[in-house]
Amino acid sequence: MKIRGRGIVPGHAAGMAIVSHAPFSFVGGVDPRTGELLDQAGEPPHPRLQGRIFAFPGGKGSTVGSYLIYGLAKTGNGPAGIVNARTEAIVAVGATLAGIPLVDRVDVGGLRTGDRMTVDGDRGTVELPDIRATPVVSVVLRNRGRILVVRRSEDVGSFRGRWSAISGYLEGREDPRHRAVREVREETGLKGITFRATGPPLLARDDRTIYVIHPFLFDTPKRQVRLDWENVEHRWIRPEELDRFDTVPRLPDVVAAVLGRAPGSAA
Amino acid sequence: MRLTQAHRRLLVAGTNAQRTALRILETVARISGAQRLVRIGSAHVSGASYKLMGDAGLGFLEDFARDATVAVPTTVNPLGTDLAQWRDLGVPPEFAEKQDRIARAYVAMGVQPIFSCTPYLLGIRPKFGEHLAWAESNAVCFANSVLGARSNRESGPSALAAAVVGATPDYGLHTDRGRLPTVVVAVDTKPRGIDYSLIGLVAGERVGDGLPFFRGFRGNETDLKWLGAALASSGSCAMFHLEGVTPEARKARVKGLKSVRITRADLTAAKRAHTDGTEAEMIGLGSPQLSAEELQEVARKVERRPPRIPVWVFTSRVVRDANPEAVATVERTGGRVLADTCLEVTLLEHRFGTVATPSGKGAYYLPSLCKQKVIFDDLDTLLERYA
Repeated sequence: MKIRGRGIVPGHAAGMAIVSHAPFSFVGGVDPRTGELLDQAGEPPHPRLQGRIFAFPGGKGSTVGSYLIYGLAKTGNGPAGIVNARTEAIVAVGATLAGIPLVDRVDVGGLRTGDRMTVDGDRGTVELPDIRATPVVSVVLRNRGRILVVRRSEDVGSFRGRWSAISGYLEGREDPRHRAVREVREETGLKGITFRATGPPLLARDDRTIYVIHPFLFDTPKRQVRLDWENVEHRWIRPEELDRFDTVPRLPDVVAAVLGRAPGSAA
Repeated sequence: MRLTQAHRRLLVAGTNAQRTALRILETVARISGAQRLVRIGSAHVSGASYKLMGDAGLGFLEDFARDATVAVPTTVNPLGTDLAQWRDLGVPPEFAEKQDRIARAYVAMGVQPIFSCTPYLLGIRPKFGEHLAWAESNAVCFANSVLGARSNRESGPSALAAAVVGATPDYGLHTDRGRLPTVVVAVDTKPRGIDYSLIGLVAGERVGDGLPFFRGFRGNETDLKWLGAALASSGSCAMFHLEGVTPEARKARVKGLKSVRITRADLTAAKRAHTDGTEAEMIGLGSPQLSAEELQEVARKVERRPPRIPVWVFTSRVVRDANPEAVATVERTGGRVLADTCLEVTLLEHRFGTVATPSGKGAYYLPSLCKQKVIFDDLDTLLERYA
């Protein structure tokens, strides 16, 4: 699959991914002489950045980190490419000094250590040749501060029995927002809904498949729901109650993305 | 981002350092959404203390200095020790040698050989409305707020790149919109002395990366230097307005902004929160470096009441050289006056475990950068306590 992000530092790189799901500080986070990652779970030796595509949400810590990235590259111990969710000056300037291609605005939540990937810093894309992309919509329906969650039936193809927003596969080159409205009508019978928000796609991983989730928020004037065969149960909940439910992957992030707040934070 | 013809030519025909510098500015512009570069009157670069820069920083600077020359007047932040006194201070020779190499690398680029965190006190002050690429947070805050000059909070490498190119990406505090206040901070107690640092610390915690509009008190330039330094430490603020005092406060619109209040109780609590030591081994005065007037005042005070623990004063080389009598007085009473270095970036931790200081910025950074315990109080109280 190909992920469209934003090119920050030009150039091309290919390699196996090392993925960190927490913001990363190069100062204290990596051995400047060897490129070995420090503070990792498990026993040493820890993975080395050399020749790898290093994916992490973004940088943090001291701006000396920029010089550290430069130093790693100079001694041949640096990563071949960098992928960020939201890059910032420490990492981006370091990658610039080091000549390491950098693409950001990629949801690293869908990437795994060991994935083969190529980074194109000119076009702002990341490609994963072994991974199939399945685009879907995920629609948060809201009525007077509560949102709708539905439990998936035993007849659907994935995530049976888990709680979800209204969702469906995108077909062909279909407009995601158009598909969103259609799924709401089919799965709930609700009409007269109003578009409120969308956001950049989130990536949910399921083995060799990445679900590319287009998140949406719609307001509905009514709460009366008529479920179809895809779901067996529904609830109108407060957003902060979501962590009590066994949900499909990334649902809290989808809700946070369209409601504009951090997952788990109070309303 | 649109480049001028001259800048496009640099990308093709410039030196290695010029091309690297321009690429850094392009990267920063891409992240920030800046559409063009704006010419700057001066640059102030951070990243000079070997204690913080380490071998990675030293390595980069020596490589970069091979063919880099600054295009505008450029000053650099304090070093990790006073290179004229390092032996007396017990600084390890390897540290001093590497620190000297960092200083030489900068000087080779054509910067002024003054290592100071108070470039606004070195004689030439930025003019109102002048664009700058400054990296030291207290200096950025002072230049924007008190002088009405315009600088973002640059990083070390971005300020250095701007110095070489003579321009910086045009966004944030370079634009009129970026200088509007985002929150009103009403102070309902009359500050004096250390209170300015305390107001800064409390406000920084409350407003984060916002742009505060203060009201309810007044202060002179020195007061605002301490306020801004503390504000830029506990928050990521790069500018503030003070009603009736700072030059852009009158134009700033505050209608409809969120308002927070700071009381005497908040200041007392903040002072307590930043004190974790019980017995100080030295009194550290700097962070930011003291002005000539402040150095003279310290000399008068220690002469009147010589303290039993050493007083270390951090100032610029300019001020130290111009005030030999004050320096002699401080040294006669067991203290030191150090130049080209400052409280939290200097090598202190090998000698002192607990430092007493009236600096809000110092109290904020000493525990993390230097692993030291702090006693945070005003100078008169400290001199009385350690008489």
